[in-house]
Amino acid sequence: MTEWLTAFLAGAVTGVLSGFGVGGGTLLLVYMTAFAGLDQRLAQGINLLYFLPAGLMALPSHWKNGFMEKAALLPAIGAGLACAAAAAWAATGLEVELLRKCFGGFLMVIGAMELFSFPRRNSTKHPPNTG
Amino acid sequence: MSKKSWRYALAGALAGLANGFFGGGGGSVLVPLLTRMCGLDQRRAFATSVAVILPLCVLSAGIYLFRGGLDWAAALPYLAGGLFGGYAGGKLFQGVNIGWLKRGFGLLLLYGGVRCFL
Repeated sequence: MTEWLTAFLAGAVTGVLSGFGVGGGTLLLVYMTAFAGLDQRLAQGINLLYFLPAGLMALPSHWKNGFMEKAALLPAIGAGLACAAAAAWAATGLEVELLRKCFGGFLMVIGAMELFSFPRRNSTKHPPNTG
Repeated sequence: MSKKSWRYALAGALAGLANGFFGGGGGSVLVPLLTRMCGLDQRRAFATSVAVILPLCVLSAGIYLFRGGLDWAAALPYLAGGLFGGYAGGKLFQGVNIGWLKRGFGLLLLYGGVRCFL
């Protein structure tokens, strides 16, 4: 039961970040593999499914608030789907230990990018256009 | 397709690669690309990333299920948590300080990355 509860809480906390649009899933992967002791591939499968409720619940708010860049959706999703399918196919055929090492490298790159790149000062001059 | 559309497509493709291969992290790739390469402001990039990543996750999850199955008992609490957290995230989004969010997030990722090699 405690295990169920901690997993639920981890999903809820990272879910807030996922709802913001970045990092929730990455963080949940770290939690599942480094703290909950799940196998890398199982964690990845869970993480993909987890984003469905988390993302779906956040989407209406974003849409209503007018933050959605509609012109980006079709090209980004179209190209993304093709690449995601190929990558998912490759990952599910790979040795789990190797997958874990790749993931570690990926985390360090993303982590460093988040730490050392700050939003440009002038970005406040362009408020999100609502509508 | 316009030049801008090609840029969106490239950003989506790279995010798709990461998201499919690592089972997540698509947003961490997509948001910086949308801001730097496509010139969206931060808040727009974050929100748009949710809508782009969602279908990629559906497809990738299908492939993971088809190729390896899934331990549903282990997955369920995370899914339930995500449901609540995601809703709260959408609601809280307008008030959040993105700078601090990024810094805390970066530190946690570095920690997680190091753990993968230990």
